[in-house]
Amino acid sequence: MIVSFGHVLVLSGLLFLLGTVCAVTRRNLIMILLGVEIMLNAATIAFVGAALRWHDMEGQVFVLFIFAVAAAEVSVGLALIIGVYRRTGSVDPSNFNLLK
Amino acid sequence: MTEPGFVLPTLTLVALATWLPAVAFALIMIFLRPHPRQAAGLSIAAVSVSLLSAVWLLIRHWHLSTPIHFTVRWVASGDLTIPFGFLLDPVSLLMLTVVAVICFLVQVYSLGYMAGDPGFWRYYAFMSLFAWAMTSLTVSLTLIQLYIFWELVGLASYLLIGFWYEKFSASEARKKAFVMTRFGDVAFFLGLLLLLIHFGNLDIMELNGPTPAERMSPLLLTVSSLLIFGGIIGKSAQFPLLTWLPDAMEGPTPVSALLHSATMVAAGVYLFARLLPLFSHSTTAMAVFLAIGTISMVAASTMAMVSRDIKRVWAYSTISQLGYMIMGLAAGGFFAGVFHLTTHAGFKALLFLCSGVFIHHFGTNDMVEIGRHGGRSLKIPMVCMIIGAAALAGLPPLSGFFSKELILGVLADRPNPIWVATALLGVFLTAYYTFRLIFVILFPRTVDKVKVQHGEDNHADRTSDRLMGWPLIILSAVTLLLGFFEAPLEHFLARGLAAVEPAGGHTWVLFSSLGLAAIALALSWFEFGRRGADQVGFVERIPWLYDFFAERWYIDRFYRFALDRFVYRGIAALCAQNDQKVIDGSIDGLSRGTVNTGRRIAFLHTGMIQYRLLIIFVAMVLLGMFFIF
Repeated sequence: MIVSFGHVLVLSGLLFLLGTVCAVTRRNLIMILLGVEIMLNAATIAFVGAALRWHDMEGQVFVLFIFAVAAAEVSVGLALIIGVYRRTGSVDPSNFNLLK
Repeated sequence: MTEPGFVLPTLTLVALATWLPAVAFALIMIFLRPHPRQAAGLSIAAVSVSLLSAVWLLIRHWHLSTPIHFTVRWVASGDLTIPFGFLLDPVSLLMLTVVAVICFLVQVYSLGYMAGDPGFWRYYAFMSLFAWAMTSLTVSLTLIQLYIFWELVGLASYLLIGFWYEKFSASEARKKAFVMTRFGDVAFFLGLLLLLIHFGNLDIMELNGPTPAERMSPLLLTVSSLLIFGGIIGKSAQFPLLTWLPDAMEGPTPVSALLHSATMVAAGVYLFARLLPLFSHSTTAMAVFLAIGTISMVAASTMAMVSRDIKRVWAYSTISQLGYMIMGLAAGGFFAGVFHLTTHAGFKALLFLCSGVFIHHFGTNDMVEIGRHGGRSLKIPMVCMIIGAAALAGLPPLSGFFSKELILGVLADRPNPIWVATALLGVFLTAYYTFRLIFVILFPRTVDKVKVQHGEDNHADRTSDRLMGWPLIILSAVTLLLGFFEAPLEHFLARGLAAVEPAGGHTWVLFSSLGLAAIALALSWFEFGRRGADQVGFVERIPWLYDFFAERWYIDRFYRFALDRFVYRGIAALCAQNDQKVIDGSIDGLSRGTVNTGRRIAFLHTGMIQYRLLIIFVAMVLLGMFFIF
């Protein structure tokens, strides 16, 4: 194993933090969705590293599952964003506070 | 009671007689709403089986020596058991038969009277309800059971008085009847509780035995007798609570005939006859009963003298005849009271049903109107009404004559002559107001030549006339003949009771009552009947007396005043204040507090999804740190 497992985890943790900051701070629904995607990918990196570390294919299987879920999630999320944009003409999450 | 072969058919018959109308009531209420004709058929079928059973029972047990009773345990909770069952003795057998006969005849009559009414099915359902409650009341074993059916009868009365509930006066009348009878029933119930606490048993047979006098002090006996009599006052419309009965005439006429003259109001008198041995322990209570009966009798007769509404006249006369029965019973004349109850049921139902024919034809209750429109052209009802009226006035040889003479004889036995004197005054008044009504209808001053139009359905009209005619003829026959069965009935009833009152041979009472009735008849002929009479009674010539009678001795005014003064302005006002200030105030305070607290914490809730996301992350991180380190 060329890259040590510790480095892989650090990379994945940094990516996760980036995704979190993106999802929490950006004032655009699409960017929030992107942040969520990045968080998912960070998790897949950790899975791949772990599969290599323990020589077990289950980690890679999980990665495939996460891809499928992420694809589905993105399609639903984008559809929701389009719907919301058509109704209100805005993709700023601070405008959607009817529940307040 | 010993051999089952003897009891079982009796039990079946009693169950048939009492519970079949209940079945009919349930079936009509559930299934037969859209089929009024079938509803009527079912109801009449049930009541005729009930009638047959009752008559069979009467014949079967004509030589009854000891009362038959049958008991099952209905409710058992801890030490308390409430038995339920039938008690058959001569009085209940006789009453059961009377009730069944009148119920049957009135239901047949109603086929004609109520034809085409939109509430036809409802009418027959209520009639079945009444038949069930009333027949069950008569054969009740315990006072609790009797009380339950007593209230059910009251419910049926409420429903039937307000049968035409769209009419404001009818719905007012039903409320009045319900509340006033309930007023007496509260006293009745308190009396029952008193008996239950101090005697421990409400079995009618035990109450009538010698034990209550041994176990209860005379004061307690007097108080509980008076309280139970309160229920009788309410149900039988006696003196302080008498004004609901005339208003109850808002119901259909057959209902008045059945409930408010012949059977339901007589339930009070029946209860009195039932508990006569118990009441007899207390001479004070009996004196009070006698006084109340007398006051009601005179008061109601005077009110009847000035009323122009044909049904109200009969209602007042019902009160006064019930007063007679209570006088007779309170004076110790068991048979006199029960016999008058029986004969009165016959002739008063007859009078009401005849009036019903007139009201049906002419669409008015006013006797002068009926006379003017040619009331005498209706031959059968007119003749039957004269028969009934003569019985009411106590003219021989009709049934009323015999029973009234018996009561007068019993009263004449009392040492104090005031009772028999008042009763004779009552005889005079009764004959006067009865024949006032008859003469006003029979000899109207002016006759409208305009015939009342019956429309096109002449055929249907004739059928309904025939349906209404037969009960009249049967009841007239009963009225004519029942008096001659006095001796066998007395023999039959005497078996249930150990002591028989000695038959008083007061010929002077007989002659004076006949004389008074004849004078009253002549007076009413002079004032209302003869050619050229101006049809103004002697009471109407004295304005203050007329007002006094027409306003029902100001009893209603007094109730109105008491209600406004004490109930509305006193108790009701206090309750309203409590409601507004205490209850509303506390609820309002609670809800206002909730709203304010909500406002205050609402800043936490911004409705911004990213803040939530942030909080979720922070929470997850903190949780992770907590679990790892």
